[in-house]
Amino acid sequence: MFLPADKSDEVDLKKTYDAIVVGSGAGGGMAAHVLTSHGMQVLLLEAGKKLDINRELKSMEWPYDHPRRGDMPPDSHALSGREYTIRQPPYAQGSPYKHVYSYVEDGNGSDYAKDIVVDEKDHPFTGTQYAWVRARCLGGKTNIWGRLALRLSDYDFKAASRDGYGEDWPISYADISPYYDKVDLYLGISGHKENLPYLPDSLFQRAVRLNPAEVKLRESLTKMGRVLTPYRAGVTTDGLKHNKYRVHCYGRGACDRRVGGCDIHAAFDSPTGLIYPALETGNLTLRTNATVNEVTVDQNTGKASGVSFIDTDTGKTYTAKGRAVLLAASTLESARLLLLSKSSLYPNGIGNSSSHVGHNFCEHLMGPGVSGLDKELVGKSRTLDDGRPGSYYVARFRNLTDRNPKFLRGYGFEGGSGTGMFPDNAYGTPGFGSAYKKTVRDYAGAFIGMGGFGEVLARYENYVELDPEVKDRWGVPVLRFHIKFGDNEKKMAEDMADSAREMFEAAGIEEISVNREILTEGYSIHELGTARMGTDPKKSVVNQFQQSHDVKNLLVVDGSTHVSASCQNPTWTIMALCWRSCDHLAEELKKGNI
Amino acid sequence: MPYEINRRDLIRIGAGAVVAAPAAFAVADAPKFFTPAEFATLDELAETIIPADEHSPGARAAHVAAFIDARVAEAFDAKVRDDWRNGLQLVDELSRKMHGHAFMDASPEQRIAVLTHMAKNEMNPKTPEEAFFGELKHATAQAYYTSKIGIHQEMEYKGNVMLEKFVGYEVK
Repeated sequence: MFLPADKSDEVDLKKTYDAIVVGSGAGGGMAAHVLTSHGMQVLLLEAGKKLDINRELKSMEWPYDHPRRGDMPPDSHALSGREYTIRQPPYAQGSPYKHVYSYVEDGNGSDYAKDIVVDEKDHPFTGTQYAWVRARCLGGKTNIWGRLALRLSDYDFKAASRDGYGEDWPISYADISPYYDKVDLYLGISGHKENLPYLPDSLFQRAVRLNPAEVKLRESLTKMGRVLTPYRAGVTTDGLKHNKYRVHCYGRGACDRRVGGCDIHAAFDSPTGLIYPALETGNLTLRTNATVNEVTVDQNTGKASGVSFIDTDTGKTYTAKGRAVLLAASTLESARLLLLSKSSLYPNGIGNSSSHVGHNFCEHLMGPGVSGLDKELVGKSRTLDDGRPGSYYVARFRNLTDRNPKFLRGYGFEGGSGTGMFPDNAYGTPGFGSAYKKTVRDYAGAFIGMGGFGEVLARYENYVELDPEVKDRWGVPVLRFHIKFGDNEKKMAEDMADSAREMFEAAGIEEISVNREILTEGYSIHELGTARMGTDPKKSVVNQFQQSHDVKNLLVVDGSTHVSASCQNPTWTIMALCWRSCDHLAEELKKGNI
Repeated sequence: MPYEINRRDLIRIGAGAVVAAPAAFAVADAPKFFTPAEFATLDELAETIIPADEHSPGARAAHVAAFIDARVAEAFDAKVRDDWRNGLQLVDELSRKMHGHAFMDASPEQRIAVLTHMAKNEMNPKTPEEAFFGELKHATAQAYYTSKIGIHQEMEYKGNVMLEKFVGYEVK
């Protein structure tokens, strides 16, 4: 693949950039794209490495061509789901392994993503149990994301007005809808129009097709007034004429290899979707291996003057200057950075006069779900079901017109079904011998399952703060977690399991198991809140344009600004909001208002 | 972000009747951890679990024992090696108790009887032999279904190649 001219490591420390963007994932990549297209000189700082992602992911490598069939080397360990519940952070402390990675490495650990996610040995955190998945490399978590790309609606933005809990967002759907459109058109999204007011349609490219079990479930759900729709994937299925780094999805298969990744970049990732095209404008300077540890302040004006960053390899510290600073380091890292930026003007951390930085954390609840068997498919020829970016999504149906007496807000389900490269039923099918082989073969394509993603309520008392003692490998104070699911989450989880079971039963899908257990906080990798938007500077950190209430030229353009979690996956909203805020910033700079 | 439920949780509870017709197959490489005798036992156990049949070759042809041997040899925790060695001893002890000779000296029918005994509480193992069967079968299944034979001949997987599109149903 041809890559644009690389100006990495050429940061001009004497120059004042129009904007400094911290982090290169969905938010940072989008900020780089929008600001450079406004002609602004942008410095993009990424804490991790620049990886040759195609070489890392090797999307089409057969398992038998890898010495450990895709598993990591023996001195590396991936935390299991259970370890998060029986141990306390920092999870790598006392571990005999040389490297410890988060659960997303799955099972024995995927050798394909060990350079993408962080080593917990270098990046400890303390406090309550939390499955914190961090990707430090160019593009961050967009290199391995699940690709489900959903819009939020006024059922989410105005949820507080609807049910009395929490705060409304300072924007409505009408404000962000044109920006969702821009994201759809610039990056490509696959889906099917359903005309649901609570799950607005995007400007879709060709939808993912359903297999027989999914069609059966969709038809049954329709009778219940519920909607199963083909996976709305942040994947270009028809191609993008304006982007030469990405190819349209051709259903090649092996898409469900854990830790994802798409080396033809049909699936959106920040480097090929946003950063490479931004580099081509000539307005972007990219510096990787640059861990920002402070937003610096002009003591005379009170405005942000730039950032200080540590070279990840050498440990040397540098300061870069900018007219505006945009944080997109990921929800929890951006909060950490605000708290780290203490000065005589901002003793509490920059942008934190409200004392709300780190607070009002919210995310998605995972765990409850159902797995079943479509008996009609047993022994039938198998479809190639992992030749698609995802299977299906069941839209929210709770607390829309009715009012559930037990809990607030809603949840949706992500589903999977059919044949993958590895027959997962091989482990659970009892017996041995030829009959065992035949059973595995006959049943491999007949399974269907789904798991819930529920809205976790934003609560002030769910928060992160700086640990007074523990530091990371670079000597930067780490986060201490105070995050626990509450009563609403527990009741919602019970309902998720019950309703999942009810839907499979109604569709005539034989139930194999119902999971009722809630996974550890953080498991969804949809951490949100901690620097929320709002109109009241006493109760929020940034305004509707993600500008700090306290410091005009400081923006936070990632998931930390979300006021509530909704139950829809956040990536598309992060990018739409960021686009809107960057348009506003460019205008304000031109007007001289900043 | 995780885009699918853990499909490995999908468990099919059903009867697995046993038919086996082990075929001799030479193993090329010297084992890295197991003794030649242990390796031969492991190879026979794997082939009994996933045998060659009219549909496709089995665990032996797919070099399942060699893959397990390589992984056990380099395992980070020495206990893994002890457990495998002890497990293979348990198989021999059980075979002696049931038939009067070690596993490899038993007849094909007797070997199946040994495995049937070990597999009887597969979903809820109680004895060390039963626990070892679980470990053995998991490792065998992983190695076999990720092998060339397992993917292409046994499962006839059609993906991971250039395709125009996924064959399925358009939503109407």
